[in-house]
Amino acid sequence: MSDSSAADILERIKPLMHKRVGPYNSWNPVSRTQIWQWCSAMGDHNPLYLDDQYRAEHSEFSRDKAVAPPAMMQMWSMRDVNGNDGPGSTTDNLFEILAALEEEGYEGIMAVSYDQTFHRYLEEGDRAHHYSTIINVSDLKTTGIGKGFFVTQLAEFMDQNDELFAEARITYFKYQVPKKPAGASKPSAPGKINRIHPVENHDHEHFWQGLRDGKLLIQKCDDCGELRHPPQPMCEHCQSLNWSTIESKGKGTVYTYTVMHYPEIPPFDYPNAIVLVDLEEGVRIVSQLIGTKPDDIKIGMPVEMKLTEVQEDMTLPLFHAAGPKIEEKP
Amino acid sequence: MSDVNHKFKNVIASDLSVGDALPEFELPITAKLVVSTAMASQDFQDVHHDKDAAIAKGTPDIFMNILTTNGFVGRYLTDWAGPGSRIKKIQFNLGAPNYPGDTMIMSGEVTELSQDGEHHLAHVNFKGKNGMGNHVSGTAIVQLATVAG
Amino acid sequence: MSNTLSRKAAIVGIGATEFSKDSGRSEMQLACEAVKAALDDAGLKGSDIDGMSSFSMDNNWENEILRQVGGKELKFFSRTEFGGGAACGPFVHAATAIASGLCDTVVIYRALNERSGLRFGSGQMMNNSPLDPNIINFSHYFPYGFMTPAAWIAFSARRYMHEYGATSEDFGRVAVAMRDFAATNPNAFFYERPITLEEHQASRMIADPLRLYDCCQESDGAVAFVVTSVERAKDLANTPAVIASARQSIVKESRMMTPFYGETLSGIPEFDACAGEVYSMAGLSPSDIDVACLYDHFSPWVLPQLEAFGFCDRGEAKDFVKDGHINRGGKLPVNPHGGQLGEAYIHGMNGIAEAVRQIRGSSVNQVEKVDHVLITAGAGVPTGAAILERG
Ligand SMILES: [Zn+2]
Repeated sequence: MSDSSAADILERIKPLMHKRVGPYNSWNPVSRTQIWQWCSAMGDHNPLYLDDQYRAEHSEFSRDKAVAPPAMMQMWSMRDVNGNDGPGSTTDNLFEILAALEEEGYEGIMAVSYDQTFHRYLEEGDRAHHYSTIINVSDLKTTGIGKGFFVTQLAEFMDQNDELFAEARITYFKYQVPKKPAGASKPSAPGKINRIHPVENHDHEHFWQGLRDGKLLIQKCDDCGELRHPPQPMCEHCQSLNWSTIESKGKGTVYTYTVMHYPEIPPFDYPNAIVLVDLEEGVRIVSQLIGTKPDDIKIGMPVEMKLTEVQEDMTLPLFHAAGPKIEEKP
Repeated sequence: MSDVNHKFKNVIASDLSVGDALPEFELPITAKLVVSTAMASQDFQDVHHDKDAAIAKGTPDIFMNILTTNGFVGRYLTDWAGPGSRIKKIQFNLGAPNYPGDTMIMSGEVTELSQDGEHHLAHVNFKGKNGMGNHVSGTAIVQLATVAG
Repeated sequence: MSNTLSRKAAIVGIGATEFSKDSGRSEMQLACEAVKAALDDAGLKGSDIDGMSSFSMDNNWENEILRQVGGKELKFFSRTEFGGGAACGPFVHAATAIASGLCDTVVIYRALNERSGLRFGSGQMMNNSPLDPNIINFSHYFPYGFMTPAAWIAFSARRYMHEYGATSEDFGRVAVAMRDFAATNPNAFFYERPITLEEHQASRMIADPLRLYDCCQESDGAVAFVVTSVERAKDLANTPAVIASARQSIVKESRMMTPFYGETLSGIPEFDACAGEVYSMAGLSPSDIDVACLYDHFSPWVLPQLEAFGFCDRGEAKDFVKDGHINRGGKLPVNPHGGQLGEAYIHGMNGIAEAVRQIRGSSVNQVEKVDHVLITAGAGVPTGAAILERG
């Protein structure tokens, strides 16, 4: 469908690529005041930057000149509050390509990645400027936020001697802002993403309630005595509907496992190790394995459960490697 | 987080092994933080200081600007590696925005140790995760201090 | 055994849309396009249809499609549950309905915007209805973050490695073979993009032991078929792909994607249970099979399928694959279209379309002298299998 028009767009903007635009000058030389403002706002107390005595005694830098945190790279030649570039900056439009894409309806922009190399830390009195070049435009891509092009900009950060002190490849996604369906709601307050709550229907609610009560419950047939998990209403051995529960000791061995790496689904920490545990009582249960390095997970390793309140409304039987038995002192 | 009381200590190559975890760092996101860091990084886009403007652009609140994310990544690395360290490279991908009221937890791991001439380099994976997922995740190369302390 | 469906019906039409990451149109439109293409391919009209069968996961209703493709009336329609496990069920239903005289010509379809729409692999399958059997099942996994198909399959893949000494490279060889076929299939996602085993081993870990190249690409697209009686098939232009046997399979260990509680996780008990009958119904044996179109949403699952269907002994599929038997030119080429790992993930239906092309002799990667093709539906779910025969 739009592939051919995407090809047309790319054909048209290609000549605009690889054009080095600049300089974009800084308004002010690197100053102690701005370094202090940055470090103060960021809570960065690294003595290298503003502690003259530390610098004199422990670094290659001079006592007299404050040192700028390397991540400040880009801010020296940023525009002022009115959107003006520093004096003597080029009036060429770096963002011709972005403007061309906007005309085609790709109006959204979002920075997606930074790839930076720092060659030298700037010191008080240094004077920064930068040049920019659009070095890549991807084919039309579809992402979670819409269709668009990844545009990569090379920014070269230079000092007063035209020496490169840092460089960055910054990739933006220039995308078609999806049309909101009619009646779409206003943006809601940013919320914390929680674990998905289990559905507690008639057949399963005792299991989840048991966890909240501090017990891992296994269903037991009242007629033939067979244990079963996950819960189900009828005993598959004798078809009895009568059941009660026993409390599991939460000890067992790993029958199989996986370590999840991708996609990273919030709110989980990655890598996320998942185990299928053979409980001593004779049923299997799925859970997370906490505290064991992925390479150390083995089929057959002994594990034990720790009931853990993972969030306000949820207690789960998480498993840990079972440590060596500690003999109680007589 | 203990900003002012952070005891700086240089990490040296012989202290490290691949797989070592960097200490976690917890950053509560406040409107004051978002605005003050945006100003300090010379970023005057309204989505970083004007809540009404941010909402009009379809986000629920103001949010942290990228230069600040970069600043916190830098701080995270040197808080760990110490003032004798020098940051050589930082690469990161951006994800869920940092909105006021959320907390970003930064974590990291040493993935490789290498040498460049006389300098020892630590290669680090890091991520900053907030209530909606990863705000930032990436890799860095830090030149380690040669002397401890 | 006596049965009435063997060799009573044949696939006489196949149709498909392109396979993409973003179709740019509704699933309904994809379904209509594919059904129309299948009818055109068969040389039939909408008004010839009197039955329909699809997946219960499909979002397109039979009546809507019937009206748009120029149909008048359906005497028979059916759905099959369990995601990709439904890929063979509609053929069982169609053949049964035709053999019993319920109807004469059945259209089978599956249309999905699984890439641009809701992606199964994203872990975002959410529904909180206490009446939904999926969420009731998944409730024992989602709270731990265990919520992607790759991770569920990884449990079995890990057991398979543990019990039979298979390695990630053994899974990789399956992926390399699929990508090799896809590389010469212009309809494939990975046309002209083969991979090496080294590239497989270097690809990122998704859910240990599954790497990126062990996982299919989620896709948008639609595939449709026309099935009719073998008598009517004789009057049509295409070489019929006769349904020599077809069976669904659920065993008591079956669960939706999470069969963790049976004796073993290293095999696929649904296929173990039905393979014998799939052969006996057709009066055939494994050595009669010329090509296999096996469900390959994740490469590890191909190995136990080769074992269940008797191409090698239990635990020996890794050697069978290592010896190149499933490759281009091998003794049992598997998925000459590139499979779901190489062509596209259309819930297995694109593999069945390839089976028909192999029978007809019209595949871009045509295997010489194909009389019988084995097809399987999803693994790790209630499923089915069938054998197509050159008519
Ligand atoms: Zn019983």
